[in-house]
Amino acid sequence: MKDILILGIETSCDETAASVVKNGRHILSNVINSQVQIHAQFGGVVPEVASRQHIENIALVVDQAFADAGLEYQDIDAVAVTNEPGLVGALLVGLSFAKGLAWSLQRPLLAVNHLHGHIYANMLEHEDIKFPAVCLVVSGGHTSLLLMQDINHYQVLGATRDDAAGEAFDKVARFLGLGYPGGPAIQKAAQEGQAGKMKLPRVFLDRQDYEFSFSGLKTATMNMKKKLEKAGELQVCDLAAEFQQALIEVLVEKSLQAASRYGVESILMAGGVAANQELRSLMEQRTESRKIKVFCPSLSLCTDNAAMIAGMGYQQFIRNCYASLRLNAYPSLSSL
Amino acid sequence: MLILAVDSSTPVAGAALVEDHRVLIESFINYKKTHSETLLPTIDRIMKECDCSPADLDALALTVGPGSFTGLRIGMATVKGIAMAAHKPIVALSTLDTLAANAAGSDDLVGALLDARKNELYYGFYSMREQGPEALQEAMVGTPQAVVSQARELMAQGQRVILLGDGYYRYGAYFQQELQEQLKVMPGHLMLPRAAAAGILAVDKAGQGEFEDLYRLGPVYIRLSEAEYRLKKGEI
Repeated sequence: MKDILILGIETSCDETAASVVKNGRHILSNVINSQVQIHAQFGGVVPEVASRQHIENIALVVDQAFADAGLEYQDIDAVAVTNEPGLVGALLVGLSFAKGLAWSLQRPLLAVNHLHGHIYANMLEHEDIKFPAVCLVVSGGHTSLLLMQDINHYQVLGATRDDAAGEAFDKVARFLGLGYPGGPAIQKAAQEGQAGKMKLPRVFLDRQDYEFSFSGLKTATMNMKKKLEKAGELQVCDLAAEFQQALIEVLVEKSLQAASRYGVESILMAGGVAANQELRSLMEQRTESRKIKVFCPSLSLCTDNAAMIAGMGYQQFIRNCYASLRLNAYPSLSSL
Repeated sequence: MLILAVDSSTPVAGAALVEDHRVLIESFINYKKTHSETLLPTIDRIMKECDCSPADLDALALTVGPGSFTGLRIGMATVKGIAMAAHKPIVALSTLDTLAANAAGSDDLVGALLDARKNELYYGFYSMREQGPEALQEAMVGTPQAVVSQARELMAQGQRVILLGDGYYRYGAYFQQELQEQLKVMPGHLMLPRAAAAGILAVDKAGQGEFEDLYRLGPVYIRLSEAEYRLKKGEI
């Protein structure tokens, strides 16, 4: 059978990324231009600044993806692009470029949901995932728990009612003066501190459903900081460690509850927060004694990249699910 | 020389094919659909109508601003994608120059105005020459009051001023009141940027080899983003 080569393009937030993936599995190139340094001076991602970076970088990044893969433009079979969810202005740069490229090459356009891409990142590295599986999607914009029948079919068991996990990391990191981006900053501080020296709430852990809420935890952390400060007892690293622990315990326990209720043997993790070391090791630890295998992408495929978009695009290509040239970009989730 | 010209800097989505100084086809959509939905289908349609494929083009022409930030990026990303895949050069045109070209042949002062929101306009003043509009100053952003005082400064004895662009629609009553019989307004079909005009202007530029570097080209925003502006002022 002929190899299928898909170009993936991803510009939903602050990374301009392009990648060529063969047969939905083999990454031939994976180029990521991160704007994190630029946004750090603003204390978070500024949508207009991100869009301005994307339009200047996009051609170079895509060209590099072809060069790294040793391919000519004509060699690809289709162009896959993230069109939701994300920052609309940022998405539109990747989407418009992808349309122009696909049309010019007379290749099909494939629309990929950014979160489907994150989930698919697992398929790029693991061949032994047993379905059905439970999947924990945790990123800067989303936190949800899915029951997956296979890579293309799933139902949402629950999601966050307010802040996403990554958002809580960012806000708390800023409040604690640990900098941006918040995930790595809190993880680093937590390594210097110890959880359990004070007690923060494990929100919704007493409930029997799969809903999350992190806004309350964020507020509790802020109040705790003020209280400790007043008493002259504030150890930022300890507080960061307790915050991280409180957040990931909820993620892990809810995932386990879902796994046992639905009798699945695999738990998948996806999204930027899945790069958190404590989350990964706690999930491993808690599943060890049960017959459940945990899968997560390697660190570089947890954060935003285009290989996952090309991979998910392949799934659509083989089903002839092509997008129209009228395809638009959407900020929020239409389906997940 | 066959050029595909694209303009999405204002609410108009425009595309045209020009061959030397002849317009083969033009599409001008000033309707509520978004550029991201209309632009590429429009390009596809006009190219097919003229039995053209990207390989037949000598260059692509694009209005690069000022204008709507998102609109400019949709046009530019689309054109970059087409140009890169087809290995074709890009000619960049100022949106204000393109707009001013609608007043070709006039002896009056020409002011091209684009709505910049926040009670301001992007504007440029021109005198019309045989070879096209000649900018009398850098493109600017400013209030309607600033536009009027610029116009008064630049108008020669006996000259009137032609104002065009969606910026005029917004502040028309004010301009009429201030400039009265010194003001001339263009008919509706010449009030907004035309991709065909961009294409015609681009033919000369392409002839002189004035192409852009695909990998460095960015829109001409004139304004900083709000966050950059605040950072500069020390508010962040």
